[in-house]
Amino acid sequence: MQQNLIWFLRILVVIQSLGYAAKLAAPSALNSYLLGSMGGSFVSGLDHSVWLFLLFSSAALLVLGFLRPAASSVLGKVDFALLGLLALWPFTLAVFSFLNNMGDAFHATDPIGHAVRFAAPLALILLSFNPNPLWQTRVDWLLRLSVAGAFIGHGLCAWWIKPSFIDLIVGTLDTLLGQDLAASVSRQAFAEASLPVIAVQDFILVALLLLPNRKIRTVAMWMAIWGFVTAMSRMTAYGWGNWHDLALRICNGGIPLFLWYSWKQNHTGPTHS
Amino acid sequence: MKLKALFPLTLLFFSSLSSVSGEQAPWLDKDYLDERTRQLAPTRTAAPSQWRVIWTKEPSTRATVSWTTGKKGSGHRVRYGVRSSSGPKLTESIVPQRSGAYSSANGEYFHHARLSELSPSTTYDFQIESEGNRSPLMHFTTAPADDRSFRLLFGGDSRTGINARGQVNLLMADLSEKDDELIGFAHGGDYIVSGRNWSQWSTWLSQHELTVAKSGKVLPIIPTRGNHDGGPLYDEIFDTPGGKEKNYFFTRISPEVALVTLNTEISAGGEQRSWLAQTLADLRPEVRWLLAEYHRPAWPAVKSPGAAKKFWVPLFEKYNMDLVVESDGHVIKRTVPIRNEKKDPTGIVYVGEGGLGVPQRSPKTDRWYLQKPGMAGADHHVMRITFAKKSMDYEVVLLDQSKADSMTFLPR
Repeated sequence: MQQNLIWFLRILVVIQSLGYAAKLAAPSALNSYLLGSMGGSFVSGLDHSVWLFLLFSSAALLVLGFLRPAASSVLGKVDFALLGLLALWPFTLAVFSFLNNMGDAFHATDPIGHAVRFAAPLALILLSFNPNPLWQTRVDWLLRLSVAGAFIGHGLCAWWIKPSFIDLIVGTLDTLLGQDLAASVSRQAFAEASLPVIAVQDFILVALLLLPNRKIRTVAMWMAIWGFVTAMSRMTAYGWGNWHDLALRICNGGIPLFLWYSWKQNHTGPTHS
Repeated sequence: MKLKALFPLTLLFFSSLSSVSGEQAPWLDKDYLDERTRQLAPTRTAAPSQWRVIWTKEPSTRATVSWTTGKKGSGHRVRYGVRSSSGPKLTESIVPQRSGAYSSANGEYFHHARLSELSPSTTYDFQIESEGNRSPLMHFTTAPADDRSFRLLFGGDSRTGINARGQVNLLMADLSEKDDELIGFAHGGDYIVSGRNWSQWSTWLSQHELTVAKSGKVLPIIPTRGNHDGGPLYDEIFDTPGGKEKNYFFTRISPEVALVTLNTEISAGGEQRSWLAQTLADLRPEVRWLLAEYHRPAWPAVKSPGAAKKFWVPLFEKYNMDLVVESDGHVIKRTVPIRNEKKDPTGIVYVGEGGLGVPQRSPKTDRWYLQKPGMAGADHHVMRITFAKKSMDYEVVLLDQSKADSMTFLPR
């Protein structure tokens, strides 16, 4: 695997972690789950500790990326541990978001809809510490499956017409076309009509992405663009102050882009037949 | 020696304080709470239980009396009549217009009897009957049709902390018992953890009986849907307030007071925003006190702002709301007056943010809109608002009946 690709993945994980750190201005799903049993002070302290860890890890990941320590060295093990914990945090949040909202179909999709967020650090561990080409194939499938999870999770929410998705579209239209109270109803109708179409698009893309023995770069690029557009909609709808909502979703577009570039390299590389 | 001599006196002083507190707030004693909880009406029988009175649109002339039975049963009705000094005269009778099985329940049924053509500012005795079994005699008072002063309680987030929820309910009953001007209660949502779980709702509904004063006085509830209240049970319990898949409406509580209840669990920016704009445009010239309530905050003391901030706050500012009540954060908060994202004496004050039993969080006191004259804190609480001609008085009452915050608003 080329170092520039590993660097790209590392930067995605750093941006995502900074997004998660900024998101901790509000209580995490773990905080909400433990509030009743552990009390407000404990859960606030827990969130604050995670916030510090995320900031520290983001900086450390960049430094370790430059140092490229051997896997068996102390720094290598630190890199390994940090990435493991950075995979664990999004996974924990997705699971507790589901547990906090038992019976809510939208939140039930979180563990698969957020798969790309915990798959990215895992992929970086595997690529950094297992240069074997066999592992590259496994990582490729890990990332394809995680992107599939993200698109299925979000596709299901779109199919069920998640209210917050309506507001992302209405808010974005307000930003692009100007706020128009008289148009609120028609913009909601447009959003409700669009979301099932978006869902079908998501499901078709997943099917094409998972075709065995095929790596369709156009599909990966389409998913990358769509992943970035939808992540960006948190800012286009609610303003630039919501940059962290884009940052923590950076892998939604970033991982498909990684796949596209990886497949392009394999296609044009000297060893490709 | 002098100190030693003072010790028994000091002890006496503090024990007398504690006994005053015990008398004023007996619900702080767990045994008392347990005893009151044991007295709740049994469910799973043919007899009525889990009674509540619901207000939505016209509380001066309408109210919905709702209850649960453990069997489908028959002979359901509400007998009611204007309260008189010579004892109850239940001259009217109404059968529920809507009954049905609660979704995912174990055979329990809901019944909604929509009373109409009531007289304003009038106390009605009522008794619920199912298959010949009668509830205790209770009463509620309709909202006024004139400009007299009255009070409402506000609060949200009763979803966990079941003992604390019972304590707050008993506090509300006590406040209600002592105060004829206190006529209703607006719940800001998140009644239980999982809105599709009947068992949790059933516990909440039974505990809601604790809000009934010992005299039988019931505080009608104005419901708001919270993020934990998804699913069909909310509409089955509160008779689909504001309409199916909407759950937003306004309550003209008196000629001079209107409360707009919004739903943060559906699109905020589409139809609901359009409705809100039209509703505020209609109500603002007509009422002295214009309030809004919804669940997820625009100006949170703990969390991130919800969609309300983008889609509703500009309308609140355009139409100069007098007060906006939020929930969801599990804290006590009162913002500075806000306009154009700045402190502005002409701005809107947002209060909340959920303390009807839910464990409390630590508020983010460094947020600019919580600085003085705003405030933030954490404790189980209920908000009490007095609507009068010259002022609107806001107070936060804690479990021990002490006041955590207060503010007086003048008409705009």
